[in-house]
Amino acid sequence: MDKNSKVNQNKVTSKMSKRANLVMLFVFLGVACIVYNMINVQIVNYEEYKVKASSIQLRDTKISPKRGTIYDRNMKVLAQSATVWTVFVSPAESDEEQHARIAEKLEEILGADRERTLEKLKKTSSYYEIIEYKIDKPEADAIRQWCQEEEIDGVNLVEDYKRYYPYGSFAATILGFCGTDNQGLAGLESYYDEELTGVQGRVISAKNGWGLDMGYEYEELNAARNGYSLVTTIDETIQHFLEKRLSAKVEEYNVQCRGVGIVMNVKTGEIYAMSTKPDFDPNQPFEIYDEEVKAAIEAITDDAEYNNAVSQARQTQWRNKAVSDLYEPGSVFKIVTAASALDSGAATTHTGFYCKGYVEVGGWRIKCNQTSGHGPLTFEQALIQSCNPSFIDMGQRMGIQTFVDYFESFGMSEKTGIDLPGEQKSITYNAQTMNETSLASNSFGQTFKVTPIQMITAVATAVNGGNLVTPHLVSSLVDEDGNVVKDLTPEPKRQVISEEVSELICGMLLENGTNYNARWSYVPGYRVGGKSGTSQKLDTAMDDDYIASYVGVAPCDDPEIAILIFFDEPRTYSYYGGNLSGPVVGDLMGEILPYLGVEPVYTEAEKANVSQHVNYVTGQNVTDARVTLQRAGFNVKVVGSGNTVVSQFPLNSMKVQKGSIVVLYTDADTESVMVTVPDLTNKSASDAENIMRGLGLNVKFSGVSASGSDAVVISQAIPSGEKIPMGTVVEINLTTTTAFE
Amino acid sequence: MEQRKHRNRKFNIKSFFRFAEKGTNVDLPLLVITIILLGVGLIMLYSASYVKGLYERGDSLHYIKDQALYAAAGLGIMMFVSKWDYHIWRRYTLLILGITYILLVLVFFMPEINYANRWIFIPGGPTFQPSEIAKFTVILIFADWIQRFGTQKMRTFKYGLLPFLILLGSIAGLVIVEPHISATLIICAIGAIMMWIGGTNEKFFFLGVLLVVLAVVMAYFLNPAGLWDRAMSRITAWQNPESDLRGSGYQSYQSLLAIGSGGLFGLGLGNSRQKHLHLPEPQNDFIFAVICEELGFIGGMLVICLFLALLLRGMYIAFRAKDKFGAMLVVGVISQITIQAFLNIAVATNTIPNTGISLPFFSEGGTSLLMLLGEMGIVLSVSRYANLEKGE
Repeated sequence: MDKNSKVNQNKVTSKMSKRANLVMLFVFLGVACIVYNMINVQIVNYEEYKVKASSIQLRDTKISPKRGTIYDRNMKVLAQSATVWTVFVSPAESDEEQHARIAEKLEEILGADRERTLEKLKKTSSYYEIIEYKIDKPEADAIRQWCQEEEIDGVNLVEDYKRYYPYGSFAATILGFCGTDNQGLAGLESYYDEELTGVQGRVISAKNGWGLDMGYEYEELNAARNGYSLVTTIDETIQHFLEKRLSAKVEEYNVQCRGVGIVMNVKTGEIYAMSTKPDFDPNQPFEIYDEEVKAAIEAITDDAEYNNAVSQARQTQWRNKAVSDLYEPGSVFKIVTAASALDSGAATTHTGFYCKGYVEVGGWRIKCNQTSGHGPLTFEQALIQSCNPSFIDMGQRMGIQTFVDYFESFGMSEKTGIDLPGEQKSITYNAQTMNETSLASNSFGQTFKVTPIQMITAVATAVNGGNLVTPHLVSSLVDEDGNVVKDLTPEPKRQVISEEVSELICGMLLENGTNYNARWSYVPGYRVGGKSGTSQKLDTAMDDDYIASYVGVAPCDDPEIAILIFFDEPRTYSYYGGNLSGPVVGDLMGEILPYLGVEPVYTEAEKANVSQHVNYVTGQNVTDARVTLQRAGFNVKVVGSGNTVVSQFPLNSMKVQKGSIVVLYTDADTESVMVTVPDLTNKSASDAENIMRGLGLNVKFSGVSASGSDAVVISQAIPSGEKIPMGTVVEINLTTTTAFE
Repeated sequence: MEQRKHRNRKFNIKSFFRFAEKGTNVDLPLLVITIILLGVGLIMLYSASYVKGLYERGDSLHYIKDQALYAAAGLGIMMFVSKWDYHIWRRYTLLILGITYILLVLVFFMPEINYANRWIFIPGGPTFQPSEIAKFTVILIFADWIQRFGTQKMRTFKYGLLPFLILLGSIAGLVIVEPHISATLIICAIGAIMMWIGGTNEKFFFLGVLLVVLAVVMAYFLNPAGLWDRAMSRITAWQNPESDLRGSGYQSYQSLLAIGSGGLFGLGLGNSRQKHLHLPEPQNDFIFAVICEELGFIGGMLVICLFLALLLRGMYIAFRAKDKFGAMLVVGVISQITIQAFLNIAVATNTIPNTGISLPFFSEGGTSLLMLLGEMGIVLSVSRYANLEKGE
């Protein structure tokens, strides 16, 4: 019993378990508090804690994509991004004892101010204090090497990109330029900014409590994709031809408001070259390149005025007049009126016109450029003579509705859609706003305003078989590996006139370009057609401000290219488009067409004048040499008494026209026979040639066709009085005494 | 096959390991809960500690290597102890008490760590905290006394309060001057719970509560050595950890960020970001934050439920124990585990102000894990004898 009671005494009592239950109740209450907190933190306020945690755990790094390259049509690089580096220090990761050396070295390599670097290094909790932006590879390499050799911590380099334009001031208004953040600010750089930029990458990397990156813990939110490259329709060679000629003439003609040139493939609308001169160097776009303007600006003392002037000067030099400027196209537009009249049936090639020197429309007397009147004219003559009354007649024959329909169909009332920023919308009439008077003035290209690109596109439409094309500069987007990402070649917009009419227009332009007014653009063998235009700038203060323009098309039997040259306010001996712009078109045609591989087809008359290489006769028997050269069509002049040709001039490598003199030297010790160059100014072409031949010199004509009786010498490549070897070819520039608009 | 049939009953290693042997089996659910806690604890410790090990010791296995060895040894000890009749411990109460006092004094002759003498260093061997041993000593002696005094005497002042207070006072007094506040707190809590369940008169408890209230009021009015102000600033930091990121709020804030960013399902095992040097003591005081971050609310709740299951099963065993001594041993051990787990998790979730307490079975600390598993061995032994009686 005793033992039993002892056992019972030792038994666990119910009171104990009751008390234990009370303790457990408290425990459960406590656990409920904990769970309540956990629900609050993990579920209710999860987002808030997640964001706060991320802010201390994660580092958001942006990876800038490489900007795409801009190529010409032959994949020559026109604009390119090169890797540069941004230098920054991470004071938190650096050793304080090295600070002085870091500051010293960065000053030595980068020229970064020592005191400022030290100041930045004092921010010991910072990981990112920028020292210098966009440093080049040599400096970056030097810093890297030094840090490695000296075991320096906390000096870092991150990659960045800088835009380079290898040709400098070349195609500047087309290419545009980039800002400091590599964003396109003008031209193609701006228009295709998104495509060129690519996609910025974002890497979220985890950092630990010490702020260091944990290389193995990261997440790439956006993969960076480098920008696409542009394959443009620009031909670097043709662009060079254009810029060289245009620049020279803008200077020579003292052009006030810059000159424009466009070279376009008439069938596809591809722009081979486009330039506005003077322009700028996209590598340093913010500099002012016009010396006079620059000097004027630097003289300004008022800050606001100064900034305003600088900004205006920049805007001016950046402006691509080919797409951003409006002008009255003048007589060039007559191509459109003529094509419309023929296509609508309002006139045929057999329609006759009569010009009495003026015509009265709606109470206004509109004069012809030839105030005495052209008299009776055929359709072709009307175009060639650029007779205003005849074109007014054509417009009246069509009537307002038909005229406007064609006008709009030629794209004169809409933007061309060229892939450049800042294309201006033309200012034109429509069927409602046009009246008799404006129909008359519109018919010969006045009282409305279009852009140069619109005008050349309309001309292209008139000569390419009647299709309105979309002028464009980029043919495709390619990725880094050269794969075509997107073909951007636009489709022709619409058929505007019939092929037959187009052919007729080509024929008239060729006739005009070969034998009549437009022969400034004449190039032997290449069938260059053209139409000049001169328009008075009615909205400027000066009465004598003109725009001299000229459109050339070649080869006219199957047109390939059109060239528009346009000088805004030339101040020289003439303001006529034919005189000023025509020869530029001709010179360019002479360079571009052979470059494009267009086969010359010579007329009989031209054949006689074709330049050819002088046969190589040095070392030959004099008699044999003479026979060889004469058979080839050269005149031979022998100097000396030897039997063998010791040397010849011109050399075999030179190209001269048939009939030129080749001098053969037969004595080893004979010096070249020197001739003094005469003054040929104002001599007619044939006189000049005869004089030179008489002296034993050869000539090469440029400018207008030498076949016209009115062709006179305007300049000569070698000035009079200079002594040159007999046989030398002297280039002689011709113009005509008759001025045509 | 033959050998199995004729096994040697006197010495058989296989039967030693056979816990569920009919007639002498330990409580299987408790064993399973313990092993799950230990397993999950080891996995989470590895996940929580490898970053710290790598950064600070150059070895990601630094913490887990020792812990795994101690866990293995601890399991062995647990099995071994569970085989013993738990009454054997009653014979050595005085010896154990003596050793405890010696160790608690010895600790003051050991080198300081963080201005505190908590550790005893065995040259060339492991380190341990005598306060861990003191907890067990309190449990053992209280259990012994509660059975020895019996229900009636336990209600008296002379038996039910005075000896308990003297023992608790002397041990807690030694621990608090180390100083080791949290261990003192735990020891006192264990003692109080055992006295309460052991049958100490409830009026002493009311009196105790009264004294505590009085002390708080006195602190408020007298503010000795700015104690009240310090306590208040601690509480402000507790209520809004973001307000004091440079001070005591920092740890709680980092812990909350870890728990919060875990969300419902967590970032996945091993994916904690806060353990990358943001969270202090991820292998110890704030391991629960890493669990919540990696395994989410679900994972955190799972761990809480495991501890609750341990508590419930422990109490179930306690009140089916053969005698009060066994019951009170179990109550003591389970109380210790529950209190520590509760306080640790409450700190991590900022339910209570910050104080450093490790999470049983999870936190890094070899010798304390050994102690814990040894104590679990005693609980299992109690369960075995309880079942044994029923079985017969």
